[in-house]
Amino acid sequence: MKKRTDLWKMVSMVMLSAILVAGCSKGESASETAPASVLKDGKYDPPFTITIAKQQDENAGKYINGETLNDNVLTRWGEQNLGIKIQTTLLGGDASQYNTKLRLALTGSEKLPDVLPVYDTMLVNDLIESGQVKEITEDISTYMPDRIKEIYKQYPTTFNPVVREGKVYGMAIAPNLTEGEVMLIRQDWLDRLNLEAPTTIDEFEQVIAAFTNEDPDGNGKKDTYGFTFSGKDSYNTGWVSDPVMIFSAYTGKHLPRQWHNDNGKLTYGSVAPGNKEALAKLRDWYAKGYLNKELATQGAWDALSDFTEGKAGIIIGRPWLYDSVKDVEKNVDGAKISAYPTIQGVNGDKTYQSAQLNDGVFMFNKDFQNMEAFFLYYDKMYDAAFSTGEFKYGYAQGYDYDIVNDEVTFDPTKFNTPLEAVQGVGKMAFTKNTPSVDGPGQSYYDLANGVKADTGVLIQSASKDQTTQDGYRISYENRDVLLPNEFNGPPTPTMQNVWEQLTTMEQETFTKIIYGNEPLEAFDTFVKQWHEKGGDTVIEEVNEWYNQASETDVMTLMNLK
Amino acid sequence: MYHKTTGYRVFSYFNYAFMILAGLACFLPLLHLLAQSLSSKAAISGNMVSFWPVGFNVDAYIKTFNNSNFNGAMLTSITRTVLGTTISMFILTCAGYALSKEFRGRNVLMWFFIFTMLFSGGLIPSYILITALGLKDTIWALVLPGAFGAYNLILLVNFFKTIPKALEEAAFIDGASFFVILSKIYLPLSLPGIATVSLFIMVGHWNSWFDGILYMSDASKYPLASFLQTVVVQSNMQNMAMSQSEVAAMSEQSIKAAQIFVSTLPIILVYPFLQRYFVKGIVLGAVKE
Repeated sequence: MKKRTDLWKMVSMVMLSAILVAGCSKGESASETAPASVLKDGKYDPPFTITIAKQQDENAGKYINGETLNDNVLTRWGEQNLGIKIQTTLLGGDASQYNTKLRLALTGSEKLPDVLPVYDTMLVNDLIESGQVKEITEDISTYMPDRIKEIYKQYPTTFNPVVREGKVYGMAIAPNLTEGEVMLIRQDWLDRLNLEAPTTIDEFEQVIAAFTNEDPDGNGKKDTYGFTFSGKDSYNTGWVSDPVMIFSAYTGKHLPRQWHNDNGKLTYGSVAPGNKEALAKLRDWYAKGYLNKELATQGAWDALSDFTEGKAGIIIGRPWLYDSVKDVEKNVDGAKISAYPTIQGVNGDKTYQSAQLNDGVFMFNKDFQNMEAFFLYYDKMYDAAFSTGEFKYGYAQGYDYDIVNDEVTFDPTKFNTPLEAVQGVGKMAFTKNTPSVDGPGQSYYDLANGVKADTGVLIQSASKDQTTQDGYRISYENRDVLLPNEFNGPPTPTMQNVWEQLTTMEQETFTKIIYGNEPLEAFDTFVKQWHEKGGDTVIEEVNEWYNQASETDVMTLMNLK
Repeated sequence: MYHKTTGYRVFSYFNYAFMILAGLACFLPLLHLLAQSLSSKAAISGNMVSFWPVGFNVDAYIKTFNNSNFNGAMLTSITRTVLGTTISMFILTCAGYALSKEFRGRNVLMWFFIFTMLFSGGLIPSYILITALGLKDTIWALVLPGAFGAYNLILLVNFFKTIPKALEEAAFIDGASFFVILSKIYLPLSLPGIATVSLFIMVGHWNSWFDGILYMSDASKYPLASFLQTVVVQSNMQNMAMSQSEVAAMSEQSIKAAQIFVSTLPIILVYPFLQRYFVKGIVLGAVKE
């Protein structure tokens, strides 16, 4: 009998301690609201804390001077100058882990952070439905600084995913049109074979044929080919190793995997008619060996190693792609890369490409009462983009820029204390990406037209490699070819059921046609099946969403007209 | 002389060939990684490195060990592994010893434990529990939830059962208590079993990354496996809104290779010392008295 009472003692002890622990943690959260901070001369006194959620980026482990996520040059700056302490209380790894953690936080087991960057449209939807995020229509109208209002005015569609019944539950993170893609070509190959950079699909074919058959590297072996791209995940990667130009040459604005507003009705690009001709072309090129033999198994990142190795002659991607493939100039003697605009379509128009207006949206805990503080901080972050105020050149001297002999420099090796790479100080704030108002590369365009590099942004742009600068200039000159995806809402009910299946079918059909494993007519069968197996319903639902999202004039409600 | 027959010899050759191939399949990836970690960035992004470094340098290792987060994560991982293995082994040997005896309610208890092998609460209840207990952001969140594993318990119970009861009875007669019997007789005799289970737990702790990412809200508290997960695995970005500096950081394949290589070393070093216990250690139900 004695043993049994001992056991009960143990059990009750354990339970008691559990209750104590739980009690303590409750006590902590209650005490947080105690002193009211007042804004005085642009600074809060006493300082208060904004808690944030963060998707861990590549900066993982790259803080210098022993700094950490919650104690670094930017958090200290915020505390000293604004009286705002930014603290990360929810940290996620990659996108799916981050989403998992946000969902777990929604269970109510802990306090939701004040500021939530959300990168998944389904999760945006779930957060709104959960009732745990704040409606910010009024707050935007009242507290958003004017210069930021000007930016959001340009991108009204970014509000579509966060509007419910005329109420706004979030805002895009630093909207800005992304840079466009350029064609990177081995200039030394072109020169050796006396070729010009291609501007039409026929010229493109001639060039890649020559790159494959006429031994452009002059080593006497047939070990080169024309065009490398990735077909693993989609034929519209949107950033590097992208073949979408070929499709767009035949389909115009109907890009694979993307929704386009065709006279007020959203249509899906992969089933548009021109795709068949594009596939026929790719199939022909593949058979002739002009393309990457393993294109269907190589991701965007893998597909560029052939270019870097000196095997492939053309690759398409954002202007910064040069930085990732320029090693070919080290690996191969005499190699030189030049940037060119993408080719013209078969009807003489330009070819189009996908673009992004924002990376995720900000949402806020419904108990967060300091929206004006958020906007104060957010506005400061924009200082670097506008080259004004405290972050005129960059975020922190000695981190992302330095002043050496009265000259601003962005080259980390020339810093007073040389660094391996610049520090992404802006990323230590709320989000993965820093605000920018440079669009597809205006600063580079200005530089090329003789503007003097006297602002932070311009100096930074001028410090890039010449080929990269050329790429951005081309991107800006061709900014009219950038098409954002018109559907940015949560997956519709039918989409949730069949979309995976439909995109798999699409990917398989396209790849099999290019590989020559199925006849070209397989495309017609695919289109028919796509419509029958749920595609028609999806189109209906997507259009319904689109009409509803643009129904209420939220822009006026937010005073953004 | 069965081993002189042609059939046996042919079988032997195939066997050797097969084992060598299998061995290479395990060893070559590691060698490739080592070669990458010692190569120049340009050679790696050009796909030119196979099993021998191209453009030999040790920059990647210098950078890795100068990275405070890497070192911190290494320390967290070591602490976690040592602490976790100690706690687990303490609980498991105590429980295993008791459960290898006959007493009332033993089967019910055993059934409870086995139940947890088949059904678990799932992610959300576990997360809520850990958060409510205030373990989040502490090393206990990594160590305690997995401290008791039913599978390892079964291994140990079975091992303890193979020890002759007569030994224990003799010790009783000489006046030994249960704890003395456990520490002086059972533990030394079941060293192979203990070593095997310890290695299982150790490797488990060393390699597990998800709980680190789940329960830590500061990257400086990540264990090594979680750190590597954020640096290496998630870099296959599908996200298109990337900027130039980020992409430059992505291509540092040699550093990733060095980090992976350094992180596998400790476990590789521990393994040979425990390996000799392996065959005896997992004779789960194979030999009966």
